[in-house]
Amino acid sequence: MSGGTDKEQLLFAAALPIADPGEREMFLKMACVDDSGLHMRIAEMLVEHNQSERFFSECVSSIAIDDVDVSEVPELKNEKNIAGEMAGMRIGRYRLLRQLGEGGCGAVYLAEQEEPVRRRVAFKVIKLGMDTRNVIARFDAERQALAMMDHPNIAKVLDGGATESGRPYFVLELVQGVKITSYCDNEKLTAPQRLKLFIQVCQAIQHAHQKGVIHRDIKSSNILVATHDGAPVPKVIDFGIAKAIEGRLMGDTNFTVQGQVVGTPAYMSPEQAEMSGLDVDTRSDIYSLGVLLYELLTGRTPFDQKELIQSGLDEMRRTLREKEPRRPSTMLTGLTHTDLAVTARHRQLEPPKLIRSLKGDLDWIVMKALEKERQRRYQTANALAMDVRRYLNNEPVSARPPSQFYRLQKLIQRNKIVCACGLVVVFILIIGLQVSTSFFLKERQARMEAERAHANEMLLQKKAKARETITEAGVLLSHGAKAEADALVDSIPVELLSPSRESSGVFRRLGKWNLFQRNWKQAANRYIVLLQVNQVDKTDRSDQSTADLLFAAPILIEAGDTTDYDRIRKAALTRLNTTTNPNAAEQLMKTSLLLPADDFILQQLEPLERIVAGTFKSHDPAVNDGGLLAAWRAFALSLLEYRRGNFTAAVDELEICSSYPGQSPACVASTHLLLSMALRQLGKLEQADTELKEGQSMVQDWFQKKLETGNDKTGRIQGWIMTPILQHEAESLANTSSWLRDGESESTNQ
Amino acid sequence: MSDSEVQHDVTRMLQANEPGGAVSQELLPLVYKNLRELAASRMAREMEGQTLQPTALVHEAWLRLQSNSSPSVWRNRAHFFGAASEAMRRILIERARRKLRLKRGNRAEHVSIENVDVAQTEPDERILLIDDALTRLRAADSELARIVTLKFFGGLTNDEVAETMGVTERTIYNKWAFAKAWLLKNIREERNLES
Repeated sequence: MSGGTDKEQLLFAAALPIADPGEREMFLKMACVDDSGLHMRIAEMLVEHNQSERFFSECVSSIAIDDVDVSEVPELKNEKNIAGEMAGMRIGRYRLLRQLGEGGCGAVYLAEQEEPVRRRVAFKVIKLGMDTRNVIARFDAERQALAMMDHPNIAKVLDGGATESGRPYFVLELVQGVKITSYCDNEKLTAPQRLKLFIQVCQAIQHAHQKGVIHRDIKSSNILVATHDGAPVPKVIDFGIAKAIEGRLMGDTNFTVQGQVVGTPAYMSPEQAEMSGLDVDTRSDIYSLGVLLYELLTGRTPFDQKELIQSGLDEMRRTLREKEPRRPSTMLTGLTHTDLAVTARHRQLEPPKLIRSLKGDLDWIVMKALEKERQRRYQTANALAMDVRRYLNNEPVSARPPSQFYRLQKLIQRNKIVCACGLVVVFILIIGLQVSTSFFLKERQARMEAERAHANEMLLQKKAKARETITEAGVLLSHGAKAEADALVDSIPVELLSPSRESSGVFRRLGKWNLFQRNWKQAANRYIVLLQVNQVDKTDRSDQSTADLLFAAPILIEAGDTTDYDRIRKAALTRLNTTTNPNAAEQLMKTSLLLPADDFILQQLEPLERIVAGTFKSHDPAVNDGGLLAAWRAFALSLLEYRRGNFTAAVDELEICSSYPGQSPACVASTHLLLSMALRQLGKLEQADTELKEGQSMVQDWFQKKLETGNDKTGRIQGWIMTPILQHEAESLANTSSWLRDGESESTNQ
Repeated sequence: MSDSEVQHDVTRMLQANEPGGAVSQELLPLVYKNLRELAASRMAREMEGQTLQPTALVHEAWLRLQSNSSPSVWRNRAHFFGAASEAMRRILIERARRKLRLKRGNRAEHVSIENVDVAQTEPDERILLIDDALTRLRAADSELARIVTLKFFGGLTNDEVAETMGVTERTIYNKWAFAKAWLLKNIREERNLES
């Protein structure tokens, strides 16, 4: 078996979303025109797909929930109890050979009877928790009636009693067969074949009813099908047992025994669900037969067993008593297309045909058996069987009031071929036209979708490639191969990069590395990408994004990218000006004001100004440290005042800034330069020149050395790289004003 | 193994590594050990509602390994997730085997009429069946097998698998559906051969 050719996988994927089973089949037929093998393989895969969902999801839930210690051990003990006590044991005339299975109320063993006749029997032990004495008493009461039953479709109850440890047991005729529903599905029986089996079951029940025995627990697992001479023979098992252990089926407190539900709510008649107990008669079995018929036809019970149990006892009773079940055909119409396909396949029918075959008579027969009021149901199992047989013979059924139209319908069905031929010709013409048009349209749409998907896929592949390259660059960086990493990221088209921490890290390191090499232009490029891939959450409370700006802003200006600087400072302000972190506010303020700013920027800075100014009033030493950071904050406020044109206020703030003892050298240099500008604007030229000289010499000293990260004592690099920009502005201001002054003096001279 | 030794080893492995995100067998023990420890500590810590959620474990292992032994150990996420899913598969298989042993013990063969159908098998048995079929799928179509390992054993989402393999989510959805159907069909066929 191969893994499926590409073609197989493609067709599978294409057929999967087609909801209508008929259409899907049509599609496959068209697609696999010359290859019936391919057609079959895909159809099989589609059926498997439906079941695989459950198969895998049940596994996944078990992977997720580990129960090694908690729930497994008690269960294990419990199993050992029964197995240890029972296997190989001799109880009365019986020797237990091995366990056959386990049900809600007990375990079934294969046993050997030694006398009076040597034969194999089924030995059913009821679980602990049942009231042994009453069970035996009730069983004894019915023993006589049970013994009277003699029918080929009824498995005899041979004996009953209690084990030494006090558990009730029943001895039953051994039936080697499988559950009726499984048998039907495995053998892929058609609906008529199923109905014939069902009629036999009805006859068995009718026989029991005539002997005065009500089964009370008819369900698919109590009807086993064995083959005799090639012909399937259904056998009803467990007669009389439900009666014997009654009261335990639905009691409020003993609703479950060791976590397992006893009784079968999905098959329970409304009056059984009422639990009046005494009021159950043969018509209760008719209801359960109705459920069985429903299941044989649709593969499901009218109400889902699991849902019933999960809804709780009261809600379950209410459902059984009041809720009208959906008709079999309606139920099938509501299934997913894959479920429906499986159900249909088990019955050797196309899904639409299956639904159509149920509509009408079979719907009515089932619904009549399922009537909530028992006087409206079939009154005997025989009446139900008769109606089914009438349906099989295309005769009018009793289940619904006959009308003219109904009788005509039956007539046509009995003379199907003649009527059909005429119609077929007309329909073929119409359908042919429709099908070819719809396939043309579908094909066109599919092609367009495929093209779109292909383009999308290419893009994703490129993106994945880009991510891999980034990772590779990261590996190179961690091995110290910085130049190689830098060259490598050049090959990545920027638009393929999506935000991620990994890319941010790589570009941040490369940006810094270029900065240390004084490759301003290249560093600027790296920082532009960094800001693009590091779009962290807008409500970011940290100062991580603004810390990147401390590098990006001066580097961009230094590299001459003032347009990019302007774009980035505006974007950063819009995105981050809601921050409440004072450091972030200060950094954002400083980096946005490195060059003269317009009204928009000044306005955006107002909330940040309040946060920064607020720190000076705080008594929290972590916020108001009275040192290095406080000095930078005062500087930022001063810069803001200067950009607003409030030069006196700017000078005042700078005095406060200089008063902090821990001021970093980079901050001192910045203060000299800004002070020089403010003083010059105020006309204090001599003082301004002095400040400028101080600043210039500090900046020159620092940049003469090899560039390094720096510390609080020497000043950090992100502080220092701002200073040449301030210096430049201060110098050009000095030049302009001296030129103006010279002009003025010239004009006075004249 | 000291950090520097790990570094050295890993560098060597990286050089030997093949392209395309295939998992190096030599790197596997590293993740495997890490995942095992994680799973063990999780179980010891959380007695109630213990969970062994593959995704959570894999992600946690990723973070740990990344911080412990330098990012250079893993060429990329795809590489790591491949290894982690493979390791997760081994852990789950081991666990399923252990649980089944515990359950069955020395008790004689487990015969039950209703258990013939594959759909009736219990989850632990299923995991083993799926794994057997996965081995056969690997021979037939290694890409599908890789998706199954990542999705089923690694517990990754369609998104994550798609990102790792550089294809669309839709592709993963389709291929995963196909792979599941293939596996179940294969399991059934194998069973029929046996019986």
